[in-house]
Amino acid sequence: MKKFQLLSLLLIVLLSACNNDDGGTIIPVDDDPDPVNNVLTGEITSDFTLTSDIIWELSGRVTVTSGATLTIEPGTIIKALPGTGANASTLIIARGAKINAVGTAAEPIIFTSIADNIGVGQTAGSNLTENDRGLWGGLLVLGKARASLSGDAVENQIEGIPASDSNGLYGGTNDADNSGMLSFISIRHGGALIGEGNEINGLTLGAVGSGTMISNIEVVANVDDGIEWFGGAVNCSNLLVWAQGDDGLDIDEAYSGTINNAAVVLGDISDHGLEIDGPAGSLEGQFTINNLTMFGNMNTEGGEYADYRDNAMGNTQNVYATGFKASSDVELDNNGVAQQFLDGKLTFSNWVINLPDGVGAANEIFVEKVACIANCDDGDPNNDVFEDKIIVNPSFTERAANWASAGTSGGADLSAFSWTYASSKGAL
Amino acid sequence: MKSRILQFLVFVAIVSIQTSFAQDAVVRGKVVDGDFNDVLAFANIVVKGTTTGTTSDFEGNYELTLAPGSYTLSFSFVGYQTKEITDVNLSPGQEITVDVTLNSSGVLDEILITTTLSKNSESAVLSFQKNSVALLDGLSLESIKATGASNIASAVKSVPGVSVQGGKYVYVRGLGDRYTKSTLNGMDIPGLDPDRNTIQLDLFPTKILENILVVKSATADQPADFTGGVVDIVTKDIPGKAEYSLSLGLGYNSDFHFKSDYITQPNSGTDMFGFDDGLRSNPIAAAQQIPLPQQNGEVVSTLTRLFEKDLAAQRDQSLMDMNLSVTAGNQFTVGDDNKLGFFASVSYRNETKYYDEYVNGQIFRKDEADKSNFNLLLDRGQSGQLGNNNVLISGLLGTTFKTERSKYSLNLLHIQNGETENSIFRQVNGIISSNQVKKDNLTYVQRAVSNALLSGKHSFLEDGRLEVEWKLSPSYATIYDKDFRVTPFRVLTDPETGEESFVIEPSESGDAGRFWRDLEEYNLPGKIDVTLDHKLFGREAETKIGGAYTFKNRVFDVTRFSFPFLNFQSVNLGGNPDNLLLDPNIYDSSTNSGVFVRKDSSDSDKFDSDTSVMAGYFSESFKVQDWMRIILGVRFEKFDLVYTGERQDGSRFDDTKILDKSDFFPSANLIFDLDSETTAKIRTSYSRTTARPSFKEASLAEIFDPISSNTFIGNLELQPTYIDNIDVRFEKYGEGGDFFAISGFYKSFDDPIELSFIRRAYGQYTPLNLGDAEVFGGELELRKRLDFIPGMEDVRLITNISIIESQQNYSDDEREGRLDNLREGETLDDTRQLQGQSPYLINAGFSYDSEENGWQGGLFYNVQGKTLQIVGAGDVADVYTLPFHNVKFNLSKTFGESKNSTLSLSFDNILDDDVESVYQSFGAEDQLFSKWNPGQSISLGYSLNF
Repeated sequence: MKKFQLLSLLLIVLLSACNNDDGGTIIPVDDDPDPVNNVLTGEITSDFTLTSDIIWELSGRVTVTSGATLTIEPGTIIKALPGTGANASTLIIARGAKINAVGTAAEPIIFTSIADNIGVGQTAGSNLTENDRGLWGGLLVLGKARASLSGDAVENQIEGIPASDSNGLYGGTNDADNSGMLSFISIRHGGALIGEGNEINGLTLGAVGSGTMISNIEVVANVDDGIEWFGGAVNCSNLLVWAQGDDGLDIDEAYSGTINNAAVVLGDISDHGLEIDGPAGSLEGQFTINNLTMFGNMNTEGGEYADYRDNAMGNTQNVYATGFKASSDVELDNNGVAQQFLDGKLTFSNWVINLPDGVGAANEIFVEKVACIANCDDGDPNNDVFEDKIIVNPSFTERAANWASAGTSGGADLSAFSWTYASSKGAL
Repeated sequence: MKSRILQFLVFVAIVSIQTSFAQDAVVRGKVVDGDFNDVLAFANIVVKGTTTGTTSDFEGNYELTLAPGSYTLSFSFVGYQTKEITDVNLSPGQEITVDVTLNSSGVLDEILITTTLSKNSESAVLSFQKNSVALLDGLSLESIKATGASNIASAVKSVPGVSVQGGKYVYVRGLGDRYTKSTLNGMDIPGLDPDRNTIQLDLFPTKILENILVVKSATADQPADFTGGVVDIVTKDIPGKAEYSLSLGLGYNSDFHFKSDYITQPNSGTDMFGFDDGLRSNPIAAAQQIPLPQQNGEVVSTLTRLFEKDLAAQRDQSLMDMNLSVTAGNQFTVGDDNKLGFFASVSYRNETKYYDEYVNGQIFRKDEADKSNFNLLLDRGQSGQLGNNNVLISGLLGTTFKTERSKYSLNLLHIQNGETENSIFRQVNGIISSNQVKKDNLTYVQRAVSNALLSGKHSFLEDGRLEVEWKLSPSYATIYDKDFRVTPFRVLTDPETGEESFVIEPSESGDAGRFWRDLEEYNLPGKIDVTLDHKLFGREAETKIGGAYTFKNRVFDVTRFSFPFLNFQSVNLGGNPDNLLLDPNIYDSSTNSGVFVRKDSSDSDKFDSDTSVMAGYFSESFKVQDWMRIILGVRFEKFDLVYTGERQDGSRFDDTKILDKSDFFPSANLIFDLDSETTAKIRTSYSRTTARPSFKEASLAEIFDPISSNTFIGNLELQPTYIDNIDVRFEKYGEGGDFFAISGFYKSFDDPIELSFIRRAYGQYTPLNLGDAEVFGGELELRKRLDFIPGMEDVRLITNISIIESQQNYSDDEREGRLDNLREGETLDDTRQLQGQSPYLINAGFSYDSEENGWQGGLFYNVQGKTLQIVGAGDVADVYTLPFHNVKFNLSKTFGESKNSTLSLSFDNILDDDVESVYQSFGAEDQLFSKWNPGQSISLGYSLNF
């Protein structure tokens, strides 16, 4: 058979002299990173501890699999390699696995990029700023609590991980599930692209149960959202997001826990402070956000306060917002979410707004929007047909006077964030 | 330019007048064995009443040189009917072709059949079809000419049961690429699509064709891996005499051509020849490491500067379509009786399309929260303008050397195709995202196929009873997606002024990106067939044995880059993609700001896979009665699939054998002659066939495809599908090419493979074996001269209708996804139709062909029923292609002293129909997935034979 193939190949070569001429000369890259002692790759299938005396390198998709616990000592620095999509460096705590990462205010655990010149014993490097985003992936914790999924499926594959890797599954029936402890953790410069127009969040919480402890978390300079909840029931406290590329706190799939004491500091390209979606299946669940401060940004193209969409349900209370543009708003996206408001499933209380110039009263920033329902896609904006507004007499904006007032204080207890990188850079 | 063309035409006209003025006339043709669908060697051809005569050679060919006059020719062979052709009138210098089919007489009495020359006009293809063991439909070059089709994809649509998807991919009896095989001269050729196994048939111009055969039932000598059909492209044979031709054509479409707002991209100097001169080559070496700007800003900005800066779709004037082809062929006598022949053809086609309103890739979803809401909700609207230019060059060189008992051929074929498609789209996103996006899309695809066919045919024993035929047909095919560029801007509209501004926001609309995608495939098929004619039960019988080996290798690779930025205000680009890579905008490490390059592809996006099939077969064709032929055969095939590739998590397969299957494929064909003249037949056929996983399907692949934005996931558990096929057909052959056939078929599939979506992971697909499936249907074909109506002698009615029904089981994920999204009052059927299968196909038309006045014309209608184009996933509804009613009209006139010039005119899409696909859901109004208007086009052609 070999002879036959050789003969045939010869005929092909005679026939076709067409080859592809891609690629130039190779430019040497002298990227000599800090020496690292240990590289984390692939799966961590038994208990493992990251110590603070060395710098750990996160290379590609690293998964702690069911049954294993990853312990991270206070003050540990993990630097991730660059890469997008399949190459993105991420740390995944799969369902049934645990993370035990408890830092201290003086010795936080830091996830950052290999490009960060931070050294052992330090809490910040000197070469990167809050505008250095997307240098690696992010941290994902996946649990077995309930999530409201499309078609009432019980479990789902988290974005960016192929379905052939079952460690990417999240969701279950145990709202009390325990994925471990996360405390005094700073996640910086992440958000690598994982799909078309889709980047990974700083901290992704997929169906994380209420047995998990999450407090004192900082996400800085992530391309996508700072922290995103996909269902789950975990309670979180003292959360700070600074200079994210998209939304600060993002809630989906009927997350039903409580977020207590949080701050979002928009950067020059940030979009919303809050982006809240509703259930994707028939399972309902209401979140609670209590004690939130949002700092706006005058440079960003977006920079809205909050967007409630897609039948969102939950309570947002004790909010203080300052430094937003006059055009920024808190919007109910369409009839679906407006109906949740009318039904009392979406509530607001005690919002204090430091009024931008040009805004007469705090309730003016609350608006009901309507969705286009016909002729939307024919390229002619003049013939579009929209839903009618359903919050009328009084309107949503008028009703907002019940909970919104002008002022210069309120919201979160910012002293809880004095340990953060953002605080050290004067972002608060 | 115009005057040059005129000069050229005058020159050509002068040449054409100087044709030969030899006084003697020539009759040549082929004698065919009607029993075995083979040529009849050493048959006697005698001019009745004289001693003048000759015998056919081992290929059945004969040639007689006669003085002008009127003759009767007698064709005979021992054990066969004798046929006499009367009224063979020869004028001085005339050369005519008389092909004759002889059937075995079966009894010892000689049977004499007499017919006139004009009634013996049965085309070679129809005669091949009539005498074939397998159930097949042929399409001769003449009938392709009548429909005015310029490529095989559009020609083959007129075969019963054949539909063409997207103008490229052939479905036979509702079965797509997995079950339909395309072969070139009976040998495997590479596919040219990463996701398909068959080749796009629009790549083959009709100029290189002898004919197309669509085989629908299997016999042992055919490969076992087809079920719907084999579309065999048979390239031009060596002509019996010197033949030269030249043809020119122009096409005009008022929607497409001479438009000043046509959309294109900067061209390389060689685009007009179907390839890129390197302008669109990837400037980054494969092994180049691309650092983060924070790691090494100097290197990253140097690398960023290496890229071509053109990212915007450009407006330019569109030109009209044109084509040109030249052919030459001749045969020479070498030595005593040896013949050396050649045929060469070069053809060029350049076509341009422009759609100023092109809707594509829209997404509509079912309301997940409210099942009583039947309306489909807009998630993504997408429309804009699109321009397309397609250049196709083909060259064919065939040489044949023929001795008394052997024939050797070497055929070289190269097809070169360059296609650029550019568009500016507006996207309105509503559910998954909520924004407006403007996108400039620039694409260039370069395809090439090279094939070398080396074959030999040898006859042994008296009367050539033993025949050995061998073929070696290596091919090499490449498809390079070169520098696909997408620059998405999010559109922000000032609510007060309505003024738009444009920003690049990665998390809303994605980064600006470009990619290169390479697919290279070589096929090495070889086969040998031995045929022995002998007697069984006192009647003629034929034994065939043979072996075949086919090795295929496919290598696929994607290199993808994007262009994010740091500390940079994208609003300053003003929405113009060409500004993105301007020098001042490229990353500068001193200011830590600007646009830089990032590599997004990974080693998991490539694979290298081999398949091989080793086959052997035996078949026996015999008669138990004069009217009943039985063909029994069995084929053995051993299939191996070897895969090299890597998973996203880094685990690898290196030359790992994934499939190793050995199977026997039995087949039985019964042919009943209903009359002694064998003009009416009933055929019944049973065969077992297979459909195998393609290169990447049975693998651990996890490949992200930048075109669809989907991830393909291989399935190591995947098994081949086995299919039982049953066919019945009644055929009636009339005089002068009249033909009627009605047929029925049934196919039962064990473990059919279908690409299925994964419910828990949006945008990811994997091939699965899905329970069982069934396909059944019927076909009706009629070709009838209307000579029973006075004055309509030269008009022929041509029509065929196919009705096909398929029943495919759902995968678990698909069933659950469908159940979850049922609307109130909606129930789920147990099965659905196969993707790509049309419930009906209709071709109908009239052709007119007059030898006397040289006019030829045709009015044709083609439609294919509503077809499931995209299988819905979860809350996304099914997409159906709506019927496209195409009416075409062709008219041509042959003129000149020796009737060697032809002028032709054709009109396409006379009804001005739209190409439209829609989402359909229970109780909902249809919503557009895609829609464009191909416009009405006029083509004018001139051809000259000399």
